[in-house]
Amino acid sequence: MNILETKALCHDFKGLQVLFDVGLTVRQGEHHAIIGPNGAGKTTLFNVITGTYRPSGGQVLFKGQDITGLQPYKLARRGLGRSFQITSTFEKQTVFQNIRMGVMSRMGVRFDCWRRVAGLDSVARETEEILASIGLTAEREVLACQLSYGKHRALEVSMALATNPDLVMLDEPTAGMSKEETHATVELIKRLTQGKSMVMVEHDMDVVFTLADRITVLYYGSILASGPPGEIRENQAVRDAYLGDMEFSNVF
Amino acid sequence: MKRHLLWLMAALAVLIVFPFIFGPLQTNLMVRFAIEALFAVSLNLLLSFTGLLSFGHALYFGVGAYGAALILTHLEGIPLVLAVLLSGLAAALVGLLLSPLLVRVRATAFTMLTLAFGQLLYVLCSKFREVTGGEDGIMGWTTPPLRLPGVFSLDVTQPLYIYFFALGLSGLGILAMWYFTKTPMGSVMISIRDNQKRVDYLGYQVVLTKAVIFCLSGFFAGLAGAIYAVFNNLVSVGGVLHIMVSFQPLMAILVGGIGTFFGPILGSGLLLMLEEATQAYPELAQMISGLIFIAVVLFLPGGAISFGARLRGWWQKRAYLRKAREIAA
Repeated sequence: MNILETKALCHDFKGLQVLFDVGLTVRQGEHHAIIGPNGAGKTTLFNVITGTYRPSGGQVLFKGQDITGLQPYKLARRGLGRSFQITSTFEKQTVFQNIRMGVMSRMGVRFDCWRRVAGLDSVARETEEILASIGLTAEREVLACQLSYGKHRALEVSMALATNPDLVMLDEPTAGMSKEETHATVELIKRLTQGKSMVMVEHDMDVVFTLADRITVLYYGSILASGPPGEIRENQAVRDAYLGDMEFSNVF
Repeated sequence: MKRHLLWLMAALAVLIVFPFIFGPLQTNLMVRFAIEALFAVSLNLLLSFTGLLSFGHALYFGVGAYGAALILTHLEGIPLVLAVLLSGLAAALVGLLLSPLLVRVRATAFTMLTLAFGQLLYVLCSKFREVTGGEDGIMGWTTPPLRLPGVFSLDVTQPLYIYFFALGLSGLGILAMWYFTKTPMGSVMISIRDNQKRVDYLGYQVVLTKAVIFCLSGFFAGLAGAIYAVFNNLVSVGGVLHIMVSFQPLMAILVGGIGTFFGPILGSGLLLMLEEATQAYPELAQMISGLIFIAVVLFLPGGAISFGARLRGWWQKRAYLRKAREIAA
């Protein structure tokens, strides 16, 4: 079964068309990577799926239901979580408080102004568990803005997972990381998304080939190819599209 | 925790004996302090905790004040507490009515919109003479006593009783807002301030939460306005809806400490004290408060509440430098 499906999805920014009839399918439980050269429309595709923009045409199906143009909070409640390419946490709050926001949402503690948030034991316990699993227990009282870059990125990804979504969409989870940080983050994502459906946009081909079960190549707003990593690697059209891109030609 | 409780008890004791030690003049000053502090804290809920700068908070204060004046003038025999609460609710209702527009804008656009609504009500109340009395305002109603049937009946036109009435209501209001910042919804509010987009993507309704905050902030500002009306027995556009009424609590927040909950209370007190001290030189008063404002912005951006920490930091730095110099020598 497909957990996410887009049908003839189009999007344009005031006449500049960025997406052309994109038909992306993500199967239940699969780890799917979207790759493509700069400006291919990967992040736009993400934004259209997750409700930042309403698509100018086409349809988005999530768990078989039409979610086209739904607002982000509604998608989050249906089980779609996402992280951002540009780190977007609550920087003036502690790591604990950041994760707690995700846990509270999952447990449905949203419109509660009678109890003290510090007194919610189940939320605190759950938050501590997540902190332990992502290895940030020691930093629980550190402000998010004071974390090292790698840990801040890890927090970014973990917040998307803290709501326990059925499908998590990661926008360049390892953007700007050092080799060691990238390695640690890949391990983290692997562990946290086990048995979950995941879609990610990623530039680092090592990361893509380590994490992805299937890859979709986006090229100037259209899908060039879609298939398992081995197939994509051998695909001539993909090779041509990437010709001259040092990073990619090194991988192949 | 225990020490905090002790301080609280001590402060309460001082506040209770205050009117018996000092004269009615100082007691009345404390009533004004209670009103200003409640008003400033309600505005601070928007400024420091939701990250929205409002230039039109007098709108809610004015609705509360006019509400109380109209209720007490036209509904004889209504219990005082009910009249004051209804006035607060009227202000909350205004917040609810405006929220569909206010939730859509942020930053400067929000500030300008609040300014526009504040000025709109100012002009409306100036012109709608039949109801509001125009420039003259509403005055001379008989304020009913604060009554608990069979237990007590206090005449709140007397300094002693208006003191307890104002301080009690203001204290409860501030306490309620403080509690709100500690609840799950309070966390959502603070997170909206820090990153509205992320709050949305985590599954919280930003728009609805903001609407609730506008109502809450409006309610307590309205409550402050209602106490003002009861205290002064006079409500006029100049006194409750003028743009300076919106700026007064803003000054209190900045002088006391933006980003903190209790700073605005301290700021309200300091501004009132300043006003009293310069009363004899009205031509100098504005200049002095302006200079102090500039000094705070330049040298103490954390406000008066950060003064202690600032001093400690400066002292530690000095000690550290001296030690470094000794080692070097």
